Amino acid sequence: MPLSRFAQRIIYVALALWLVIASLPVIWTAVISLRDYVDAFANPVKWSAPVTFENYRALWIDREFYRNFFNTMVVTIGTVSISLCVGCLAAYALARYRGSLGFWLLLVALVFRALPHSTLLPSFFTLFDALGIRNTYFSLIFVLVAINQPFTIWMLRSFFMNIPAELDEAAMVDGCSRFQAFRRVIIPVMWPGIVTTGLFSFLLAYNDFLLSSALTNAEKMTMPAAIANSISAESEALLMQGVAGAVSITLPLIILVVIFQRQIVSGLTQGAVKG
Amino acid sequence: MKLPSFLRFVGPSVGLMVALMAVPLAMTFYLSLRQCALEMETVTVTQSGPFGQQEVTTQRTKTTADGVPISQCSFVGLQHYKRVLGLDRAGADDALAPATTEATTSAPVGVGASKPANEFFSALRFTLSYIAATTPFVVGIGLLLALGAQQLSTAWRAIFITAALLPFIVTPVVAALSIKWLFRDNGLIPYLFSHFGVQVFWMAEAWSAQLLIVLYGVWHSVPFAFIVLFAGLQSVPQDSLEAATIDGASRMQRFRYVTLPHIMPLVIFILLIHVMDAYRVFEPIIVLTQGTFTTSVQYLTYYILLQESNPYKASAASVLTIAGVAVLLIPLLLKTYREQRGLN
Repeated sequence: MPLSRFAQRIIYVALALWLVIASLPVIWTAVISLRDYVDAFANPVKWSAPVTFENYRALWIDREFYRNFFNTMVVTIGTVSISLCVGCLAAYALARYRGSLGFWLLLVALVFRALPHSTLLPSFFTLFDALGIRNTYFSLIFVLVAINQPFTIWMLRSFFMNIPAELDEAAMVDGCSRFQAFRRVIIPVMWPGIVTTGLFSFLLAYNDFLLSSALTNAEKMTMPAAIANSISAESEALLMQGVAGAVSITLPLIILVVIFQRQIVSGLTQGAVKG
Repeated sequence: MKLPSFLRFVGPSVGLMVALMAVPLAMTFYLSLRQCALEMETVTVTQSGPFGQQEVTTQRTKTTADGVPISQCSFVGLQHYKRVLGLDRAGADDALAPATTEATTSAPVGVGASKPANEFFSALRFTLSYIAATTPFVVGIGLLLALGAQQLSTAWRAIFITAALLPFIVTPVVAALSIKWLFRDNGLIPYLFSHFGVQVFWMAEAWSAQLLIVLYGVWHSVPFAFIVLFAGLQSVPQDSLEAATIDGASRMQRFRYVTLPHIMPLVIFILLIHVMDAYRVFEPIIVLTQGTFTTSVQYLTYYILLQESNPYKASAASVLTIAGVAVLLIPLLLKTYREQRGLN
């Protein structure tokens, strides 16, 4: 039974309104990033103003934002690849093992998933200072991997569950060891699941502010940590650099979501629909 | 799969979680009962300045031969907990004027809000209010959008979903900053409001700053609820819907008696995830108010650690935070446990 034309129109208007709300902060930030401070925060608001790339130039060249970009890339790529390697092994075993130990492991992982990350910071400070590895890529990457593990193994496990166990049994009958079956037979058919989980690991590492800002400083800062200067920016130049930085951080994410929309949606619903 | 090979496969993952989550957690408990202070010594230094040689006595930290500062540590029992909970009057005064013997190095820079004595309770109160204020809107708007998006053609659905995902994937600290710039003096929103004669300095008052944080929370979390519910709606059995129509059920009745029971488990799932995530609210707090009107439990630990430079007191705040999340989680764990029992 189709809706009346009037009801349909109301729905379209409501959906369009939500799209405006969802995208307004991002779009308006992008608009004012191309303006002088005077035009960006003018009273009354200017709907159009001369376009300038000065903010971006000041940020990327004067403030050397490319260093932060490089740091983010190192940390993100490191986190995603290590997360997936370690997570695939564990998730595969959790999908195939029938003992109760697996259940308890998953339950503990769920508890860790709920843990507020800041509660780990005092220990990280003390530990890393004692070991002399605070403010290194190494420590930040491994912290992010560990924090990401509970989510990673839960999601990968649900993908592994979809692959029939007969497949690895057949491979093992043919003379593969357990690991060879995993490596040569299961992983090649797991790619969709790995890509989806990898995307979420990427988002976690790329978007992290709490841990990155606390565990890195100076030349090791990631982009979100570096933009924190703009939170209470007193000077107009610093503020406008922050605006340009916000857009610079968001742009790769928008490209990502346009390319991988299907995978992100399937990842979000994966855990949910299966219960 | 046999136990030994299971252990080999999960080994690296479990090892990482133990080393970087379980051990630090245990350490947090330990640290929260301790206090370390740098040992100071009085030294006489000979300085040569424009007025000739002078003998000056100064305090400096005692170091070993390698130049590593020596600190003295001791167990202080529940002192940090008392301070964080505001039970210790003397401690509270102490916190306002940091004792020089502590490792407290610099006064808070930029964010200089004075804290109430019961820091943890005020942080917990706002965190819980935030959860209570955002949850109904996240589920409600998510459900309405999911129902609405069903009316779209397939091509438009893809476009709508992509655009609607935006708040969910944008870096939280960047999103919070963008909202701050939108609501700032001379920003777009106050300008639009002024057309209706409403003038609000959003970041300058407690109620409006808190409202902004809640707005951010709803904005950020709705896409997740929307996507999950939208996927759930696709799997509502069409036969049951048709049968209900034939039996004369109205649109509302079909929603109430067929669709809603079907997606109810998803609503519960969204509630649980949202409560877990909302308990961790951090970025909008630090960006929008810098702790002036509001703190959250995560912000409190972060603040004590980085601004008061006191990892021991921060550990006490952490332990209380963990206790809070444990209380929130018990129903979820019981439910999972019972379901698992049911399956086996």
